[in-house]
Amino acid sequence: MQVPHSWLQELTGLDWSATEMADRLTMAGTACEQIDDVAAHLDRVVVGRVESLRPHPNADKLRLATVSTGGATDEIVCGAPNVAVGQMVAVAQLGAELVGGLTIKAAKIRGVESRGMICSQAELGLSDDQAGIWVLPEDVVVGQPVAEALSLNDSVLHFELTPNRADSMSVLGIARDLAALSGETLRYPTRDLHQEGDDLNQHFSIDVADTEACPRFTVRVIRDVTIGPSPWWLQRRLLLAGVRPISNVVDVTNYVMLEYGNPSHAFDLDKLGTNKIGVRWGQAGERVVTLDGKERATGPEILVVTNGDKAVSVAGVIGGASTEISDETTNICLEMAYWNPGVVRRCRKKLEIVTDASQRFEKGADPNAIEAVSAYAAQLIADLGGGTVQNGFVDTYPRPIQRPRIELRTARCGEILGYPVTTERITEILTGLEFDVSTGDPLVVDCPTWRHDMEREIDLIEEVGRINGYDIVPDVDVAYGPLVAPRHRIDIFRDELRTQLCAGGFDECMGHGLGSSQLAEKLAPERPLVRIVNPVSEDLDIARNNLYQHMLESIGHNINHRNLDLRLFEIGRIYLPPANDAGEGTESLRLVIGVAGEMTGDWRNPSRSLDFYDLSGALIATARHFRWPELTLRPEAIPWADAGASFAIRVGDCLLGAAGRVDAQLARQFDIKLPVYLAELTLDSLVAAAPDVKFAPLPRYPASSRDIAAVVSTDVPVGEMLAKATEAAGPLLESIRLFDLFTGKQLGEGKQSVGIRLDYRAEDRSLTSDEVDAAQKAVIAALQAAFTAEIREN
Amino acid sequence: MSLLEKLSSLEQEITERISQADSLASLKELEIKYLGRKGPLNEIMKGLGGVAPKDRKAVGQKANAARKAIQALFADSASHYETGTRTAGLDPTRPGTHQRLGAAHIVNQTMSSLCQTFHGMGFEIAHGPDIETDYYNFEALNFPPDHPARDMQDTFFVDGGRLLRTHTTPVQARELERRKPPIKVIMPGKTFRNEEITTRSHVSFHQVDGFMVGERISMADLKAVLRAFTSAYFGPDLKLKFRPSFFPFTEPSMEVDIQCWLGEEGKGCQLCKYTGWLEILGCGMIHPNVLETAGIDSERYTGYAFGIGVERIAMLRHGITDIRYLFNNNTRFLRQFV
Repeated sequence: MQVPHSWLQELTGLDWSATEMADRLTMAGTACEQIDDVAAHLDRVVVGRVESLRPHPNADKLRLATVSTGGATDEIVCGAPNVAVGQMVAVAQLGAELVGGLTIKAAKIRGVESRGMICSQAELGLSDDQAGIWVLPEDVVVGQPVAEALSLNDSVLHFELTPNRADSMSVLGIARDLAALSGETLRYPTRDLHQEGDDLNQHFSIDVADTEACPRFTVRVIRDVTIGPSPWWLQRRLLLAGVRPISNVVDVTNYVMLEYGNPSHAFDLDKLGTNKIGVRWGQAGERVVTLDGKERATGPEILVVTNGDKAVSVAGVIGGASTEISDETTNICLEMAYWNPGVVRRCRKKLEIVTDASQRFEKGADPNAIEAVSAYAAQLIADLGGGTVQNGFVDTYPRPIQRPRIELRTARCGEILGYPVTTERITEILTGLEFDVSTGDPLVVDCPTWRHDMEREIDLIEEVGRINGYDIVPDVDVAYGPLVAPRHRIDIFRDELRTQLCAGGFDECMGHGLGSSQLAEKLAPERPLVRIVNPVSEDLDIARNNLYQHMLESIGHNINHRNLDLRLFEIGRIYLPPANDAGEGTESLRLVIGVAGEMTGDWRNPSRSLDFYDLSGALIATARHFRWPELTLRPEAIPWADAGASFAIRVGDCLLGAAGRVDAQLARQFDIKLPVYLAELTLDSLVAAAPDVKFAPLPRYPASSRDIAAVVSTDVPVGEMLAKATEAAGPLLESIRLFDLFTGKQLGEGKQSVGIRLDYRAEDRSLTSDEVDAAQKAVIAALQAAFTAEIREN
Repeated sequence: MSLLEKLSSLEQEITERISQADSLASLKELEIKYLGRKGPLNEIMKGLGGVAPKDRKAVGQKANAARKAIQALFADSASHYETGTRTAGLDPTRPGTHQRLGAAHIVNQTMSSLCQTFHGMGFEIAHGPDIETDYYNFEALNFPPDHPARDMQDTFFVDGGRLLRTHTTPVQARELERRKPPIKVIMPGKTFRNEEITTRSHVSFHQVDGFMVGERISMADLKAVLRAFTSAYFGPDLKLKFRPSFFPFTEPSMEVDIQCWLGEEGKGCQLCKYTGWLEILGCGMIHPNVLETAGIDSERYTGYAFGIGVERIAMLRHGITDIRYLFNNNTRFLRQFV
């Protein structure tokens, strides 16, 4: 909604600046987003008269116009087809700055000097009309600045309206808030209605088939009108409000809609061809050509207005071409109706069209203002078109809409707003907004019918609050609340998991929660899909059922940007459909880890490739931190992983996820050519707190450490060797670890050297070397037996 | 004490003395004292003669290595002084052994610290499903059946009539149903809107919504909580502005602007479009219809609610110019927030 400052001044009598109005309205709920200076591009733009025209010697499409601007006469090159001798035009003189930063300079255009420019409205920033030059009204004075001659020293306020305030979709609605804020009385524009001839009701009838859909339909007739341009005062207001002037009759309907918020429609009465108006639902196969030149099917979900037979417009949305006002029109049938907001919304959605009228009707115009506003519009048409309003107002309004009556307790108002408000102040505010307020407590308030948002007491309290302003609400210490806000396990767990993985050098990613069904088929074919009915694009057509996709996309993005030390994770939900029709879907909390590229080295530790063991190390550290039961990785086929590098993750006995190296061909779909390792783990069953740690007494006797280097086949799983050694070492073994692992020529093909350190300790004594040697011998024997290990001593 | 043990303890002693030396001169003095002809190193080396012949070769090799190490200590330490960049034997300008710290995602960092701030004020954290029913997302929150937010243009619907929640306030509707006042809850989480992905909009974003319901709760309580929050989170001296607004589930409804702290004093910046104010959250008094739908007596109990856009707050606070950075996980972006 955009409104000229001068219009608001006229309706309120306020001398507030545009900025002051904008600020006060914003702080009362009608947000002004922008103020435009109308004359911003009118400096050095003056009224000129086209004295003569001659062809441009070097260009067919250009002409040379001799333009007088009072004292001087200049020759200006002009390319607009509509320029003609005798026109008053807007001339941008040298130094003028037009829209888009264009500064007018003396310049040669195709070899001929042009001193200035004859402007379109678009070039002056007045509208987006760039079809031709702007032909000014004839009564302007040559040489006068255009801003002065056409009263354009004005501002336009642009409002961002909230959807509840249908009443603000009119200049009067906005002015009414200003009146309430300032204490001024709103100055309603009116015209004395002069009616002539016999009563229209005697020979004109309205037949509304569905009075729920059309609660009120009214008609007035204006006769002997001459169609022509509107006077400048009206054109100016329309222009500044962002509406293109067309002709006097159409302009009046737009003007009155802007001012009062009641849309109306003017039919050419003679083209209507009957003295009847009908309102009914459309019929199968019925078509109507609308004012935008399109032929539209109506059908039973579209409400139409008829001439008793044929559809002549779409109710509340758009008029029809067959009864359109033309230059030859003389008699006007002026419709002003109140449509059910939902009906208009559904019709315009069905037709995929939004008009100024439909926007107002679907929020709710004022049904009870129609008689007066229609009289105002009819008289304005008669005044501007030189016609007369026929006697009579045909009105179909079987169940007049009542004003909502609401009781308001003064004390309650203060309880909600947080500060005491007096009955007098409440009454003053509501009266200023034209509510009728009784005396006493509770106040009985009759709300105006332009306020479709008034349903109960709280709605009135909000009116008081917003007009008083919320900045006056005091801050108080919060009275009370629950004594303790517990912290739930899920929040503790997520924070702790994130902290732990970050401490291990992994960066946290964020997914947007959507995914591609096509990729899901490859990444998690066993999981059903939650399909989005109205996806934003084909590749975001599911609520994600895996965390792999976004992780792979992130890795691909990073590799493309040459970020190659990739240790990433995300903790997030995946979505699965409900198991049965009644149930809610499953949302499962998952962890995904992705590893690729190269670990950045430093002066001590050379860089090296990141691989699967960086990923499994993170999983194992996590399991240890949360004291999960043992985490194991066992070979198992996974849809997205390479054979031989594809594992099931188990925590204790529970199968909770998968880990492996991503199939190279699949990785290339994400633009990844490096080996990339992934793991995804279900966290739902792991959220519960671990049992408390029981303190283990620190050792009192020294440990003895022994190393073994065992050369075995590379097929031997190292974990099994450690397990076997642990078992063989017996109760004296305190800890065991893999301290070295290598392959090489000196070992021979298919061999690996496994270095194992074993620490032995007893709780109650220092171990003798015999005891340790015996255990160590058992370990060696076990490794030899089980893995045909060759033990290397050093 | 064996010869090797003596060497080892001498090395320790020298290392310690070198680290205490505070100039090249005192270092030279130490060198003469320990490595001189009559110094302790030579004395110990003389003991080699007393070692059993079968061990002499091995011990001799080890003793020589130890002597070289001790000599190297002095040479190394002296060179520190000569290059003028080092003190007392260690080079503090050398990057320490690299310890990689991962970065928590800035949206999660922001969400956590918002939650912590409110948790400190007694708000309990609650969660609900990301895929919601129309009832909790709209109907229970007083959205009329034909509200534009219920359009396909704004909301993602999934099979079976459910939808991807457009805010986290549905959790409020769920919590109101299952708890008794007083209730003070904060609701962080992922939300979705059917929008084009651009620099300023995305299909997904995060919210921290919160509410309180109790007896005699007024807008003054709401303002106090929000002021406490903005003081803790943005700084104590920033002014707030409460503008009337509209949300179906609150009435009265307001939007809160905070004084812009980014640009030059009083002038604002590009982010606040030179207005000097930044919009940070929406709030209001819970609509009595919402309380009644949940079976709460709206005469006895009143409440307030507020909703904060996490991405917006993170972008404002850190000057992030493109929302897509938050979702494409470029490590150069992520690791700025380590």
